[in-house]
Amino acid sequence: MEIKKTITSSLMFFLFYLFAASSPDLPKFSQPALITSAGQNAEVQMVAVLAKRAGIDHILNKMATGQDLEGYKSLLLVLGASLKGLGAAGIDINKELERVKSLIEFSRQKDIPILCLHLGGEERRGAQSDQFIKACLPAAKMVIVVKSGNKDGLFTRMCQDLGIPLVEVEKISDALEPLKNSFSK
Amino acid sequence: MSKFELYELYKFFLIALFSWLFCCRPHQFKISPPPADRHEPYEYTGQKAMVVAAHPLAVEAGLKILKTGGNAIDAAIATACALNAAEPFASGIGGGGFMIIYLSERKKVTVINFREKAPLNFYAQIFNEKGEEAPVWRTLKGTAVGVPGALAGWELALRRYGTKSLIEVMQPAIEIAKKGFPVSETFSAINKEEYEKILANAGENTIYLKEGLPYEPGDLFRNPELAETLQLIAQRGIEIFYQGEIARKIVRAVQEKGGLMTLEDLAHYRAVEVEPLRGQYREAEIYTIPPPGSGLHLLQLLNIASFWPLSEWGLTSSRYLHHLTEAMRLVFADREAFLGDPDFIDIPVDKLLSPKSAQHKANLIRPDRVLMEYLPENSPIETKAGNTTHLCVVDEKGNAVALTQSINHFFGSGIIPEGTGFILNNTLDDFASSDSGPNSPGPGRRPASSMAPLLLFKKGKLKLILGSPGGTRIFPTLAEIIINLIDFGLSLDAAIEAPRFFSYSQNGQIRPLNLEPRFPLEIIKELESLGHKITLREPYDKYFGGAQGIMIDRARNLILGGADSRRDGFGQGY
Repeated sequence: MEIKKTITSSLMFFLFYLFAASSPDLPKFSQPALITSAGQNAEVQMVAVLAKRAGIDHILNKMATGQDLEGYKSLLLVLGASLKGLGAAGIDINKELERVKSLIEFSRQKDIPILCLHLGGEERRGAQSDQFIKACLPAAKMVIVVKSGNKDGLFTRMCQDLGIPLVEVEKISDALEPLKNSFSK
Repeated sequence: MSKFELYELYKFFLIALFSWLFCCRPHQFKISPPPADRHEPYEYTGQKAMVVAAHPLAVEAGLKILKTGGNAIDAAIATACALNAAEPFASGIGGGGFMIIYLSERKKVTVINFREKAPLNFYAQIFNEKGEEAPVWRTLKGTAVGVPGALAGWELALRRYGTKSLIEVMQPAIEIAKKGFPVSETFSAINKEEYEKILANAGENTIYLKEGLPYEPGDLFRNPELAETLQLIAQRGIEIFYQGEIARKIVRAVQEKGGLMTLEDLAHYRAVEVEPLRGQYREAEIYTIPPPGSGLHLLQLLNIASFWPLSEWGLTSSRYLHHLTEAMRLVFADREAFLGDPDFIDIPVDKLLSPKSAQHKANLIRPDRVLMEYLPENSPIETKAGNTTHLCVVDEKGNAVALTQSINHFFGSGIIPEGTGFILNNTLDDFASSDSGPNSPGPGRRPASSMAPLLLFKKGKLKLILGSPGGTRIFPTLAEIIINLIDFGLSLDAAIEAPRFFSYSQNGQIRPLNLEPRFPLEIIKELESLGHKITLREPYDKYFGGAQGIMIDRARNLILGGADSRRDGFGQGY
């Protein structure tokens, strides 16, 4: 009986150690936050819903520019290009890239930290989406990605090279916890 | 009887048995399992009957009806209804469509038009008076919703040509909605893409979201409210939908979102039976749907293509892509100028289908560059996001149905009448954006449609049943598949899976050439050098539709089914 208890507690300790070791201190973000997409994707709306559930004071502005960031303490960039979304917004991919780059530049000047999220999975990858991923990740303080969007390891490689913490989640709803934690005090 | 005689008798018996086994039994066809790569061409096979549709459960529903003595029409309606439960984002009782029917004994081809209609108090300026907000009122508000025609169309087809009752053919759909099914990657991806609309019009608690977020692949999707609605209709007839409590719920939902539909509009809705359009492509005779569908433009495109030696040029030649693309742009110019509801306008169908018209257009096309101007000019037309569904059925007697139905965009308007579980269409977005012209909004009008389900005959015998969703890409996609089959000699599913391309003209001006990037890079570069602006899509892009087809191979006594891997296409025969 004693042996069983010892094995169980050792196992528990080992699992806890594993968990603790794999969860380094993640950066903290402050409120209010501005949420926008990089590529006019549909996931930006999902991030707004998750932010609401996480109790994060936020605003969603799909076409935000540098000036719109005034007064916000964090920028949430939702990555991935949607031809449908770009069409609905009436802009082409190059103009969207310009908008995103100017936002990043403004946030750098004002020292506003950027949290990047890629929730669209494999469907939201490809040459056009990757342009936005490559443009945004170097400016990010942290990245949350749905696993299937990182099948080729692009996020892992880039985050390792850039020294940015990467949180992988199985599905969109799982992004709630890391999002909540990153805004907790 | 001596031992020897007994032995001889035994030998004779064995020989007779083996002869019967190998010679007299009906020929058994081999069924190979579908390939692991869903995009690899694969033909479903059968010998007597077949159903092909955009979801395996819908196919199962149709087959069940066929195997219990139903004919192709019964099975088509069962499949169409099951698609409402299994692929609810693309079609359903909140929408409409067209079907083309072949009755083999009577050698008759007929068409049922169950396209949605504008309410009677609709008017030409209804969208444009909203100014910059017009796109929202065309797609997301109650003004986008046409009077649904699906149930009226299904009921008319069953009453005239079916053998089963509505309650019998609706039963499989009710079961699917009740029990649910695991969500596919396609369903999940479309659910994510249309999230904002669903959230805005149906809210976080809708059945079409899982705890307020999109469904992930593998999640169970059940729709008990739809099951109840279908059960009610099955038991009490379609009157409950057009005149009863469901009608009241539809009107309330539409009016709450700023729409004009009334109970009178629903009560007055009728599906209609019309004559098919007939055309010729090389040796094949093609029957398809008349306006307001786009069968006319499918035939125009094929008429132009018939002037070119396409088999010499090849599928992956810039010459073929350039010529057919230019032909599409010229045909779209005619579509802008002439297509609308024939109950309200005159459409010069014969003139547009004349060899002279096709020859003139073929002569206009220059091999060395794009035209830049595509006449005639008329009301503008947008490249709609049309997202529809198509199914094909053939039964043991050779009756066949090609049925295309829709709620227009994926998840339609996103408006769901309270407690009903079905989505209302946004088909009135298919009206042109000008206040005048053949396809301008108007009371009681059916907007122009790109649907073009078809039946193809060779030497008087039914050879192919085909159709596709895909908005304005529908008829160009169908033309490409027919060319792939006839000119390039591809098998049915290889013709469906082959890389697609699409372009159009707007106000006479050239629009980009959309391509699946499976065409060789050098071809793409050559096309750019001819003046085409290229938009590269995904390798197997839903944008180009999800075609389904059945081919009858009389020489091999086989029925072959092709289902598009761009969506969840599936087929089964026996």
